[in-house]
Amino acid sequence: MRLLTHNLLSSHVRGVGPRGFPLRLQATEVRINPVEFNPDFIARMIPKVEWAALLEAADTLHLIEVPKEPIQGYERNEEFLRKMHHVLLEVEVLEGTLQCPESGRLFPISRGIPNMLLSDEETET
Amino acid sequence: MDHAAAQLEKQHVHDVYESTAPYFSDLQSKAWPRVRQFLQEQKPGSLIADIGCGTGKYLRVNSQVYTMGCDYCAPLVEIARSRGCEVMVCDNLNLPFRDQRFDAIISIGVIHHFSTKQRRIRAIKEMARILVPGGQLMIYVWAMEQKNRHFEKQDVLVPWNKALCPQPLSEAGQPGRGRGPPQHPPCSACRCSDCFEGRRGSKRSHSVDCDTVLAGACCASTAEEGEGENGFYSTLGKSFRSWFSSRSLDESTLRKQVEKVRPLKNTGSWANGTISIQPSRHSSFDLGHPETSSTGEQNADEEVFVEPSQGPLEWLRAPTTRKQLNGDHPGVMRRNGGGNFLGGTNAKENCVDEDNVEEGTAPGSKLWRRVSAADSTDSNPGDAIPVEEQQPDALDSRAFMRYYHVFREGELCGLLKESVSELHILSSGNDHGNWCVIAEKRESCD
Repeated sequence: MRLLTHNLLSSHVRGVGPRGFPLRLQATEVRINPVEFNPDFIARMIPKVEWAALLEAADTLHLIEVPKEPIQGYERNEEFLRKMHHVLLEVEVLEGTLQCPESGRLFPISRGIPNMLLSDEETET
Repeated sequence: MDHAAAQLEKQHVHDVYESTAPYFSDLQSKAWPRVRQFLQEQKPGSLIADIGCGTGKYLRVNSQVYTMGCDYCAPLVEIARSRGCEVMVCDNLNLPFRDQRFDAIISIGVIHHFSTKQRRIRAIKEMARILVPGGQLMIYVWAMEQKNRHFEKQDVLVPWNKALCPQPLSEAGQPGRGRGPPQHPPCSACRCSDCFEGRRGSKRSHSVDCDTVLAGACCASTAEEGEGENGFYSTLGKSFRSWFSSRSLDESTLRKQVEKVRPLKNTGSWANGTISIQPSRHSSFDLGHPETSSTGEQNADEEVFVEPSQGPLEWLRAPTTRKQLNGDHPGVMRRNGGGNFLGGTNAKENCVDEDNVEEGTAPGSKLWRRVSAADSTDSNPGDAIPVEEQQPDALDSRAFMRYYHVFREGELCGLLKESVSELHILSSGNDHGNWCVIAEKRESCD
């Protein structure tokens, strides 16, 4: 699970609503996968990122310091874009958990795959 | 009803995909050109979701976008991941995403696995929810109207013959495919730990007896090549291509089956492996309109159509088939490692539809009711299996029955117009036996 993915995920435990984001990340195994740098792609992704959630996740993983917000003129700032490229796409959580901040429910990540399935009881009306 | 629906889907969608996941391969999953085109037309930097991605054949079509694959079936998701895709296991009915995240979404061969209209609507609404205003959703569902196959009813169980998937992935050598060695999915990820190595001799209920498979015949690829690339089907000829077995469901039948399956202690028809014959004039259980038998055969009530074992089949020989069905069913309803193995009379019960190959997206994740079905696997190898081979052990069913609600022309559009007002239909049509729609999320939705 890459951090860009984490940035999109939310707990859908019944009743939680928007308070289910962001999921608290905990990782026991992380891998760095080199990914070809595409500055245009990253520049377009930046506006879609929920920055606070990204900062929190990056911090949990002890990643290089991520700026508190996109810097001015980031579209043309290669150093910034490369940093974001690394954080969003090259860091992969292989084993860990995602925790709903509201309900505490844990979702496992194994072999890089988050399992977001809820039990029947959790989805019942 | 919702619980019964979920039970049916568990048995005839999720469990089947989970058990058959090891047999999916790159060869089987053909990417529909129109879907590829839809993905390639998305703006660079878009966020895309493939809800019901199966083995992930659409996840790498466009390198300029970020595509997430979601599926209910974990084994299929594992396969997708082994190909380097970003995937997760989840449920189409409860998508774990915030509102308005995705610029585009595809749902290829998924919605037809939901067994009630309400669940189908819910699945579509969930996808609409996570779509940005102005974002587009593409939906493909299996059409009831088919060229080479006749569906008596809209709610059907379609067998899948494992024998049709001949080689382990490592042996794939389909001519003309030229995609290089297919990836070996992580066997540890699925329950069939010996699925590739030990398959041929395995006695496990879900293993495939590959010896019965036509050499070089891969059902998936042949079915997918229905547009003319493949010679296999043409070689076999039309007479071999009509093995078909379908069991239509209506609500009362559904309830009965579900009830029988759950305890699994009485000798309900499921437990015995026979497909219970429920004469019925009921309409498709959730459509609410009376269905008519369009073929005019005398057994309008007969729900099970099984090809007789001799000669090319004429469908809808209900009385004959019923006898054969009961007689030949070895009663192999077994649950083994989560797979349901429903006894079938013989390989001839496989559905053949060279034109209608669904995406091979098996929803492993709950997300997608096994989103894409590799309908290529439904192709009928039956004709390849000689009648003489109908020994009791050879009859050991290789048919996993998958549930489908096949859509009538206009039904999908009607569903959107009537129940998903947040989506505006941009275009619709038929593609390879599938009804397809591209819809856009309306701006300024509350």
